[in-house]
Amino acid sequence: MTIEHRAFLYRDVDEFLEVTVPFLKSGLERDQAVIAVAREPNLTALRDVLAPEAPPIQYFDSAEFYRHPVHTLRDYQTVVKQSAPRTVCALAEPVWDGWDERQTLEWIRYESLINVVFDGSGARSLCPYDTETLPPRVVAEARRTHPWLVDSGHSGPSGEYIDPVTFGSGCDRGLRFDRPRDADYLPIDGDDLHALRSFVGERAGKHGLAKQRAQNLVTAANEVAANALQHGTPPIGLWVWQDGADLICEIGDNGFWRPGPSPLTGFIPPDSALQRGFGLWTVRLLVDLMELRAGWDGTFVRLRVR
Amino acid sequence: MRWASKFPAAAYAEPITDLDGQAMEKPWFAKRPVSGVRPGDHGWLAYSGSEERDRVIGPFVQEGLQTNEKVVYVTDAPPERLPGLGTRHHINVDAYRRAGQLRVISRQDACLDRYGGFEPARMVDTLGREVDKAFDQGFRAVRITTDYSWLLNEPRRSDLGQVLGCEHRVGDAVSPSTMAMAICQIDRHACPRDELIALRDTHEVLVEVNPEFDDGILKIVRTFEPDGLRVEGELDAARHAVFAEKLTQVSKDRGRVHLDFSRLAFIDLGGLHLLARHATVLPASEPLVLDHLAPDVESVIEMVGWHRLPGLTRGTERVLSDSEGIG
Repeated sequence: MTIEHRAFLYRDVDEFLEVTVPFLKSGLERDQAVIAVAREPNLTALRDVLAPEAPPIQYFDSAEFYRHPVHTLRDYQTVVKQSAPRTVCALAEPVWDGWDERQTLEWIRYESLINVVFDGSGARSLCPYDTETLPPRVVAEARRTHPWLVDSGHSGPSGEYIDPVTFGSGCDRGLRFDRPRDADYLPIDGDDLHALRSFVGERAGKHGLAKQRAQNLVTAANEVAANALQHGTPPIGLWVWQDGADLICEIGDNGFWRPGPSPLTGFIPPDSALQRGFGLWTVRLLVDLMELRAGWDGTFVRLRVR
Repeated sequence: MRWASKFPAAAYAEPITDLDGQAMEKPWFAKRPVSGVRPGDHGWLAYSGSEERDRVIGPFVQEGLQTNEKVVYVTDAPPERLPGLGTRHHINVDAYRRAGQLRVISRQDACLDRYGGFEPARMVDTLGREVDKAFDQGFRAVRITTDYSWLLNEPRRSDLGQVLGCEHRVGDAVSPSTMAMAICQIDRHACPRDELIALRDTHEVLVEVNPEFDDGILKIVRTFEPDGLRVEGELDAARHAVFAEKLTQVSKDRGRVHLDFSRLAFIDLGGLHLLARHATVLPASEPLVLDHLAPDVESVIEMVGWHRLPGLTRGTERVLSDSEGIG
């Protein structure tokens, strides 16, 4: 049971309804668990059209559902697990405004990751893209992250689709990892990370992070540092600096990560805390963005929070 | 009665209830492990069973005998069966009694009138006499303890007001003392909850077992009823091994184990992994219960989702300080 992951390029609300309403109804007919996540005013239009029949559909506003790509993947996975043994039929319209370039890249990557995370789930997902208002790049990437495409009434495979691993390495290729010379530095030499937690917590507080977000950063930095102590090669250290509104915390060691992180590392939600990858996946949940760089000069994990 | 007092006034907070038992202000307690009890402490132990009692009173008695302090135990039980005493503990009870360092005084001699009724004034006099003698004998301190559950749960139970009055007077005598310290024991099932609270509130110090581990960052304390551990401070990779060891110990031959996380400020992700791994060897019907989750810890667990921590379950919510010391 593979996933049917389909991008739907639409021009206005009428075209949106022409395709999404039959899609949701087909899910009901197949006895799938049906959820509709859409942006306004599409969401209201959809509810109005479907209201007379009062079908068992769960509605969500995209503005609430799409806040952090790793969280959104987790939430869709929860829906899939809770619906089992029924499969899921999801209308899934992402949010593309309000992100900077770096965040947009993560949301594009997210669409590609759907193909891996829900492989074997039997889910059907229709992802609407508003071609009138979205930047051309976002629409172009949708053709590369969705194996299926609905465009101008035609439905079929997307010729430009790229598998998620290849796509993910493409996303990572252009990343820059420069670090200011005056970043605060803390060497990590013992196995006791108490001092590291105070160091990070203090800087997070000074940066103005709310208590919970500061604590999340501390937990994330602690996890990455514990990993470096366990698997890395000294010297190990932590740098903290501000980048505009962001606070960045980077942990590096001198080791060469072999076979090295894959473009999927830490993105696939584990089934339990006992599974490999639980730590890095949780780190991705705890911060706004985690970036990995494993090179000849060492392994570096960068955590970004705003 | 001298009580070897240097201070004219109580060294601790003002009494927290007046004589009618009305709450005057928020109770204020110091919570101390038994080895931290010191002269001036009028301590309280509401134990859940003999294991907890023995793990508190045992060290209290033994440490006194080992450090040239006098131990006064008011009880009708035979000395060799008292917590911390007897051959099992390699303590020569008779020798300590002959030397006057251990005084085991029967209830009749300590605090009953000729008709067998409880007489608070006698108790205070008896203890005062023992403390005075200890001063003359050259002991540097006196440890006093008694279990007064019998006053409250026997058919001829005493009036609660009488017991409270006795506690106040003992407290007034011990608190300013530079020599005397006391632990009043009570079986927490001996009387109703409101009476327990009233009794507790006549003490300034709540005594508990010594921690299983404490390095200033992480503290692990055995809890009873429910059986488990209270984990305080920060649990991280450097402390996983000791925590796993204590967790395995407390889980052995016991039913459901509870972890009190009310004072756990930090748990690393490896710690969550450790809890889930521990739970895999427990029977499915007996999950590991996490009680009183502190917000920072709860937020991480909710972020990853409880279903990713199989075998762990949420227990009771954070408690009010009302139940402090009485379970």
